[in-house]
Amino acid sequence: MKYRREASLIVLVGALSFLATLFDASFVPANAIDILINSIPTMIISCGVMLVIITGEIDISVGSLLGLLAATLALLSSTAEPGLGIHPYLAIAIVLTVGTLIGLGTGCLVVYGRVPSIIATLGLLIALDGAQDWLMGGGDIKHFPQELRYLGTGTTIPINLILTILVVAGTGLLCHKTALGRRIYAVGSNPSAARLAGISVTTTKLFVFALTGMLTAIAAILWVAKLGNVSTSTGAGLELKVVTCVVVGGVSIRGGRGRILGVVLAVILITMIRTVLNFMDLGSEAVKWQRAIEGVMILVAVTSDHFTQRNQPGGKS
Amino acid sequence: MKKFAYEFFLLGLICVVLAIAAFLDPLFLSSDVQIELSSEIWELGLLTLGMTLIIITAGIDLSVGSAMGLCSVSLGLCMHANLPTGVCVLACLATGLAAGALNGSLVAFIKVHPLLVTLATYGMYRGFAEGLQSATTNAPVDASEGIKALVTGNFPLIQILFTALTAWTAILLGRTATGRGLYAIGHNEEAARFSGIPIAKLKFWIYTYTGLLAGLAAISYSARRSATAEAGLVLELDVIAAVVIGGTSIYGGRGRIAGTLLGVLLIHETRQFVDWYWQRSELTLIVIGTLLILAVLGHRFLFAQDPDTH
Repeated sequence: MKYRREASLIVLVGALSFLATLFDASFVPANAIDILINSIPTMIISCGVMLVIITGEIDISVGSLLGLLAATLALLSSTAEPGLGIHPYLAIAIVLTVGTLIGLGTGCLVVYGRVPSIIATLGLLIALDGAQDWLMGGGDIKHFPQELRYLGTGTTIPINLILTILVVAGTGLLCHKTALGRRIYAVGSNPSAARLAGISVTTTKLFVFALTGMLTAIAAILWVAKLGNVSTSTGAGLELKVVTCVVVGGVSIRGGRGRILGVVLAVILITMIRTVLNFMDLGSEAVKWQRAIEGVMILVAVTSDHFTQRNQPGGKS
Repeated sequence: MKKFAYEFFLLGLICVVLAIAAFLDPLFLSSDVQIELSSEIWELGLLTLGMTLIIITAGIDLSVGSAMGLCSVSLGLCMHANLPTGVCVLACLATGLAAGALNGSLVAFIKVHPLLVTLATYGMYRGFAEGLQSATTNAPVDASEGIKALVTGNFPLIQILFTALTAWTAILLGRTATGRGLYAIGHNEEAARFSGIPIAKLKFWIYTYTGLLAGLAAISYSARRSATAEAGLVLELDVIAAVVIGGTSIYGGRGRIAGTLLGVLLIHETRQFVDWYWQRSELTLIVIGTLLILAVLGHRFLFAQDPDTH
């Protein structure tokens, strides 16, 4: 069955909502929008990382990159010390450019430098984290101009949500309806065959890394706009959450397989787990075990289909 | 000689780092400072031994730091209950073994990709460590005298064990059929299976061994500071970086303990000097990250004798 993974994710999301509804009938209507809004940064970056993983590479630097870009945006646009207070639109343009360039740089390291992507992005993860701390100089940065905050807090039109939906829809179209999308899958499932078919493996990989950089920049902008605060720990650990979502969403870590719908459902599911655990108010004892429960659920999600799909022909793990 | 060309390259790099250090501040090379700063090398060193074996089989273990935190908390619980030192140590090592065995069985027997298994257990072990700590002592536990003596006493057991384990792992890898089996798995798992190499058994064994090493590292950490769920936070990055800088291929099939040791030394000296001289931890991160990428690039362009193994 083609949509088996998506079906099981929908069942899980439904089961979680049902569980929460048992505690309080108003859970779903009251929290649905909140869950979506909380999932925005993970959702946007997951779209990029999904494409990278489909080409058979991986990017674990996105958390640090988001932190660095958020710090850059904060320094450029904040109206209070040590911000420069330049016009927010100009700051946004700079951050988008920097993000795309860093993504492109990562791609060059992988494609031309032949550094394995997990190592190249591990190095970047460490180095960009340091760069973020260095830029921030220790303290938090606050006080952003209204034009910027509006992107994340506008109540009449939730611009961040609309933007996220556009990114997801765009990635879906790119993956499943365009020639470039076919090339991305081809490169991931068999690079030599792709090369022989006249597909430029180099360009395709450069494109997905640059796109991931740009999407991380968008996520960073929306992050700053929503929270109005950047600290040295902004973005820490996000890369693992994103990779977890992409994999739980059914994208093969060996490349070549995966669909946008699964990833979107997985992001919602994983954001929901924490909200539901918070909401159920299981008492102070249970709160302490939240991360452990989350970890067990993710382990179950990651391993479960190995129990059910072992006899599938050609089933790659 | 030619076989160890990369190891000599690393040795040269370490000399360059030390030369820069000596030029900027000769005091750094004095034995007092070196001994004082060396206290942190043991945990990194212990964990890299297991990680080298794992990466040689084309696997990876992201959960070593979290497993270390879990071990440290169980050690702390035993010390809190005033149990004898031996029992504390056993409980800590058993926790490590269990954590490693869980990783190992999922990778070896259920055949889940090691990146996914250890990504999940990375969050899970740290979660259990935090949960266990906040549900019981709710604060770091100071190391008992007995535990401290294992690391800083006249008979520093951890250091002696590290030396012994290094020798044993190096012999295992370089001189035994088991070692050749590990290289074979990393080089071509299909071929290894047809050659009758017990792939599942070997894989299970190396993840479990790494778990045990995480237990030892937790004892070392807890003795120096205190037993806490924070033990080993982000240490996995340094461990992987040291192994890869040491010349072990992330695609598997290539790597040696000698290179790993030099990688540990290079990371250790660089980190300690940057921390010590400039007193800025963020600068250390930038330098280590860059060093990792440069080392791999250097290996590619200077020592690329094997055809593309992607």
